[in-house]
Formats: sequence, structure tokens, C-alpha cells
Amino acid sequence: MATILEAKKTTKRFGGLVAVDELSVEIKEKSIHSIIGPNGAGKTTFFNCVTGFYRPEEGQILLNSHSLVGLLPDQIVRLGIARTYQNIRLFPSLTAMENVLVGLHCHLKANYFGIVANLPSTRKEEKEATDEAKRLLRFVNLTGKGDLLAKNLPYGEQRRLEIARALATKPKLLLLDEPTAGMNPSETQTMMDFIRHLRDEVGITILLIEHQMRVVMGISETVTVLDYGKKIAEGTPEEIKQNPRVIEAYLGKGSAAETMGVAA
Amino acid sequence: MTRTLTLWKHGATTGLLGGLITVLLSLTGMVEAFSQRQIVTGILSMDQSLLAAAVVFMAYLAAKRTTGSRPLWVVINSLTCGFVTAAMLMLLLLVGDWIHLRAVFVNASPVLYELISFGHGFETAPLLFVAYPLCALFAGILYLLPGPVRKMFIVSLACILGAGVLQDMLRPTLTAWESLTDLAEWIFSANGLTGQGALALFILISAAVLFWSFRGKAVKTGYRNLSPAGQRGLKWTGIAVLLAVLLILPQILGLFLSEVLTIVGLYVLLGLGLNIVVGYAGLLDLGYVAFFAIGAYVTAILTSPELGFFNLSFWQALPFAILIGILFGVLLGIPVLKMRGDYLAIATLGFGEIIRILVLSDFLRPWLGGAQGIGKIPKASIAGFEFGTPQEIYYLILAGCFLVIFISLRLRDSRLGRAWKAMREDEDVAQAMGINLVATKLLAFGTGAAFSALSGAIFATKLTSVYPHSMNVMISINILCVIIVGGMGSIPGVIVGAAALVGLPELLREFAEYRLLVYGLALVVMMLVRPEGLWPEAVRRREFHEEELEENNNAAASAPASS
Repeated sequence: MATILEAKKTTKRFGGLVAVDELSVEIKEKSIHSIIGPNGAGKTTFFNCVTGFYRPEEGQILLNSHSLVGLLPDQIVRLGIARTYQNIRLFPSLTAMENVLVGLHCHLKANYFGIVANLPSTRKEEKEATDEAKRLLRFVNLTGKGDLLAKNLPYGEQRRLEIARALATKPKLLLLDEPTAGMNPSETQTMMDFIRHLRDEVGITILLIEHQMRVVMGISETVTVLDYGKKIAEGTPEEIKQNPRVIEAYLGKGSAAETMGVAA
Repeated sequence: MTRTLTLWKHGATTGLLGGLITVLLSLTGMVEAFSQRQIVTGILSMDQSLLAAAVVFMAYLAAKRTTGSRPLWVVINSLTCGFVTAAMLMLLLLVGDWIHLRAVFVNASPVLYELISFGHGFETAPLLFVAYPLCALFAGILYLLPGPVRKMFIVSLACILGAGVLQDMLRPTLTAWESLTDLAEWIFSANGLTGQGALALFILISAAVLFWSFRGKAVKTGYRNLSPAGQRGLKWTGIAVLLAVLLILPQILGLFLSEVLTIVGLYVLLGLGLNIVVGYAGLLDLGYVAFFAIGAYVTAILTSPELGFFNLSFWQALPFAILIGILFGVLLGIPVLKMRGDYLAIATLGFGEIIRILVLSDFLRPWLGGAQGIGKIPKASIAGFEFGTPQEIYYLILAGCFLVIFISLRLRDSRLGRAWKAMREDEDVAQAMGINLVATKLLAFGTGAAFSALSGAIFATKLTSVYPHSMNVMISINILCVIIVGGMGSIPGVIVGAAALVGLPELLREFAEYRLLVYGLALVVMMLVRPEGLWPEAVRRREFHEEELEENNNAAASAPASS
């Protein structure tokens, strides 16, 4: 499988703190790739580097061997990377429909004069955008909720709306930051099925940050483990489960020895 | 014992607050200033209505806050509120009698004391303890009445107040029509409403309100049951009627009211521009008057023979005024692209002042006229018709308003409008959705500046002169107040806001001195009672509406979900 996203020795510092430390990761096309690690390991910082919110001090990030470093977030999303946020960041006072329509923004072309003159091309484009937005709302199972304000939706629906908005940008690579945070087991299961469906049916590569081991182990093909900004392990879920350094990072040194002892 | 205390508590605290308000109204001089006007001649003067309105409002609050809301308790609470308010005013009278308050409060005059005490000082002062509790009792009963009746009282009393206050506008307007002269004489006296006029108004408006309360729903469903074509027809008829009214309005209203309308219209233009910058794009711009000044001055420089540079006509100068306005909008936008919130507000505030000081400077005097401004700006004219009097300029402004409303509506529902709103909600996420922040912000600044420059250009030709003093920071603040009170991001809101905050103070000369006080009060009350504004933007019903249509087309049996 071809590599869609490649980070080469990416480093991001905040003053003296090295949040991401010479991180090198390769994301295979049409894979589900998880990044895990304890709190403060630099997972979200890495996401921010990929999507252009932060500019890494060193190293390269390549999307289909096209460098992303130095590009603005709006240029990167046009190249095909979309994301969701750890703490949901919808446009709260816009309707669900409008949220999705904003996601379609970069695929619309109407200019100022076309808008004021209401040219046939503008009208056609708006109609198509509205239809597409409705289709996306249906896709994430929010049919009939399009006219509600985003802030008035229940939590789970807000999560799904955020994914619909990200999908509206027609991404090749979707970055999900803790998509199952705060969900109960059955909601988590639905989300897992949905993510798998996105990859299998729509063909989008998924890179996700996740804390729930059940999700990570259940759906990812590759898992990368970060600790203090460094990659400490990478492999299939099975390999990661056995890796002593991972256990140490999560549970501390003593417990690692203990677990190893038990395992032995 | 404790139970009685909790029972009285709200009435007493609200009464103290009400007392404070009435005392302040008296000491700021509002009561005295209002005493010249009558609402209903010989029965109710404007100062009494002001105080009574304050008491009724506070007593209504007291009634509303009553725990348990048993009728008796509600009445006790509102009565307490009335008594406490009366006691506070009585205290003011006693203190005023004892200490020379006037040394500190200039308005604490003997006339004021007479007004408060119903004309004869301490002889009639005990009447306070009858009149105010009566007002409070009315408020309490009002609270207990069923909804429609309550609404009837509030609306019709407000209308009587309005009609009485605007007597000197309405009466000449009515008498201007031969056939209505008798009616006008019957309703209005020389300085207020007549008794029978007030009664007739009350009955008429009450009937209308009651009718709407009971039959309004039927009317609405009737409208909804019409075919889409019928609805559209009705809508267009409505628009046509509105248009016709707007076109003949200055002829009906006469000179003075037309002048007021033109001022309101200029503020509508300004407000719609700022609405794009602040309401849609969320960029808090406090130096917005700069573009108004640029529009006015560019028009003045290009047209005025006093400077003698160009001597263009208004129509030749207008495109330049707007283009230069846009240019400055973009130029002033560039340095603040990275700023947000408070920082943006302060930086733009600075820009507004820079423009004003430049215009005022002696250095630029040969080109911009300095403190004396620029005069002799020609009137606009089309094919020999000159827009000279306020009644004629009204049409110029009306056309400008239509153009700007049209552009605003189109932009609002477009890709660009959504990008602005997304930026307002969350700038970072908007950028991550592919919105180019630089271009989107500059388009907002440019559009706002264009509307403002248009307003400035019309302002220049309306006054035929421009002065630096009419470009001060208060205009920026006023426009901001207009869109906050009207409703952020709402086009009808801007119009309502401009009418309320700019039109009303022009009509009520007594208010002029207290304009800022009333603005402040209006803002605070709005934030507490109706933070979304007088006429907030309706959430668009795009999805449901179309699904309903589809379902109607498919003749599907299941009813669509409605919210």
C-alpha cells in the first residue's frame, strides 16, 4: 500500500518544552491508524502540526510527497486533510445545515459579483451544495436535524455533525481526535462501525487519537505510541499490547516489571 | 414570622430599587424636563407617566418574583413595592426640605418637589402613598390577569403613551388632510390627547389586540394553508403595499418628520454596513465612522467649488467616494488582520480618531478645509430634478437603503455570508474548513466601508457641507448601539434599531439631553431582557421547508416533523 502521509523527524517546541520530538510516522493509504499515548504525549500537537495550526520547527510532513510545512490550515484542507477536535468545535450559533455548508466552502466557486447578481451558476452551485449537505446529514444519521442550531444538538449528534462537516471538505485523510470521548459502550460501538464504514465504503484514510483501548485495539491496523513527544513503539495492536515500553509508559516502571513478571 | 418576611422580601427589595430609579429620574432632571408635555390633557402629564411607568414596571417585577405566586401574596408584594417607592420619594422631599440639595444636584429645584408632591408640597405629598400603591396594585393585578388581557392593557396603554408623546407630530400630519381635520381635533388637544381621544384609542387598540389573541392563530394557519403560489402572491402584495407607503411617506409626514426619516435612513445605511463587519464577520470595529468621513469628504473635495479642484457633480463623485471608501476599508483592514476581540476594537478606535484628526488638522487645511470644513457641496440631481429638501433627499436615501438591503440579503445567504458567520463563531476552525481568512476579512471590511462611504456621500450632499465635528467617535458608538439593540446580524433589526435609537430621540426633544443615559439604559435593559435584540435574525428553515414540499409533491401520508 502507498503512503499517504509521512512525517519525517518532525519536532515542535513550546519554549523549552519539546511537545513533539523527532517524530517519524508513515500512514498507509486506506488504513486506520491510531496514535495513543498518555496525556501530554504530544498527540494533539502532532495533529495541529499536520493541519497547519502549528508550524513544526524541524522535520518534514508530506502528503503524497507534497510538503505541508508552512502551509496555512485553509490550504491544507484543500489538499485533502480534514479533522475533528478533541473538545467539539462546531459553529455553535449556526444551524447543523450551515455547519456542513461551511465545510463545503472550499469546493464552491461563487465570487462576490456572482453572489450579488445571483448568477445562474451561483444558484446552481448553491442548490447542489444544499443537496450535498443534506446527503451528508443523512449519511451521519442527522436527517431532519438540519435546521437546529449546532449548540442545541445532544452530545453524540454534535460529534457526528462535526464528522459530517469534516467530510464535506471531501478529504483523503481524516484526522479524528478522540471521536468516542464521553460515549457509552453502545455509542462507542456505533462510532467504531461508522469509522470502519468510512474507510471501507468511502475509501478515506483514518488517523485517530484514542484513549479507549477497546476502540484502538478493535479497529486500527497500525498503532503508534507516543510518550513525551517521542515515538516509543509502532506496530499492529497485538504487538503493541505485548510491548513492555508501552506498558511502562502507561502504568509506570514498577507495574511494567510486575506485568512482565505475570506474563512470564 | 419568617414566612411573612419572605413574603414581603421581594416587594421591599424591588420597591427600594424602584424608589432609587424614581429618585434618580427626578434628580437627573428628567421629571422636570418632561413636565411640559401632556399625555392626556388635564389628566396625565408626561412626568407623571414616567414615574408611574417606573412604579408599574418595578411592581410587576415584584409580582413576578413572588414565591408561590398565590394571588394574595402577589398583590401584597406589589403593594409593598409601591409603598416603598412612595416612601423613597417622600424621603427625597423631606431631605430636600431639610438640606439644600441643589448644591450637589442641580436639578433638585422647588419645581421638582412640587411636581413630585402633586403640586402643593407637603400638603398633597401624602397622596404619594395613595397614587403609587394604586399603580403598584394595577401592576399586581395585571400580572394575575390571563395573558391576552394583560397584553391588551400593556399594548393599548403603551400606544396611548406613544400617541400622547408624539402629539405634535401626529396632529399636524392628520390635519394636513382636509377630511381628517375634525378627527384630529377630536383626538388631540393643543398639547396632548383629549380624554375622549385616549378612551377611543384604548378601546380600538384593545379590540385589535384581543382579536389577534383569539383569532391570530386562525389567520396564521389560514396563511399557511394557502398554496405556495398564493403565499407568494400575498407576500408580494405586502411588499408592494409597503413600497407604496414608503414612496408617499414624506408627502404625508411633512418637512420635519421627513428630516427625521432621512437621518434614520443614513443610520440604516451605516448600520447595515457595520452589521456585515460586526454582525456577520464578528470583527468589532469601533472606528467605523472613518469610512463615513471618507465618503463625505471625498464627495466634498470632488464636488465643492469652494475648493475648486474638480467641480464634479454628485453622481460623478459618488463612485469615487465609494471606491476610495473600499480602498481605505481594505488598507485599514490589513494591519488588523491578526487582531481579535478587544485588540481589534482598540486599534480600529484609533483609526477612527486618526481620520478625524487628519481632517481637522491645519496641515491638510488647503485640501480638507480644516475645522471650518468644506461648504457649497452641490445637491444631487437627476434630469433637472434636484434632491434639495428633506422630502426629496428621502428618496435618494430610500434608494440607497434598498440597494444596500438587497446586497446584504444576497451576501447573507451565500457562501461568503456563511464564511463570515463561521469566522465570527470560531476563526481557527473556519480556517481549517478552507476559509481564507485574509480575503474573507478584507471583503467584510471593504463591504462595510462601501456602505458607510455611500452614507457619507449622501450626508455631504444633504447638508451641502461637511465638518470634522460631525465625524466623531460617538457616531461609531451610536451605530454599534443600533445593531446591538436591533439584533446582531439581522437586517430588519438594523432598521428597527435605527428607528428606536435615532428616530425616537429626534422626535422627543426632551430626551435629547438624556440621550446617552437612555442609550445606556436601553443597552442594559436589552442585555437583561432580550439579549438577542428587538428583531433577531430568524434561523433559516431550509431543510424542513423543502422536505415539506417534497412530501407534499409525493402526497406522502406521514406528516413532517415540525419544531
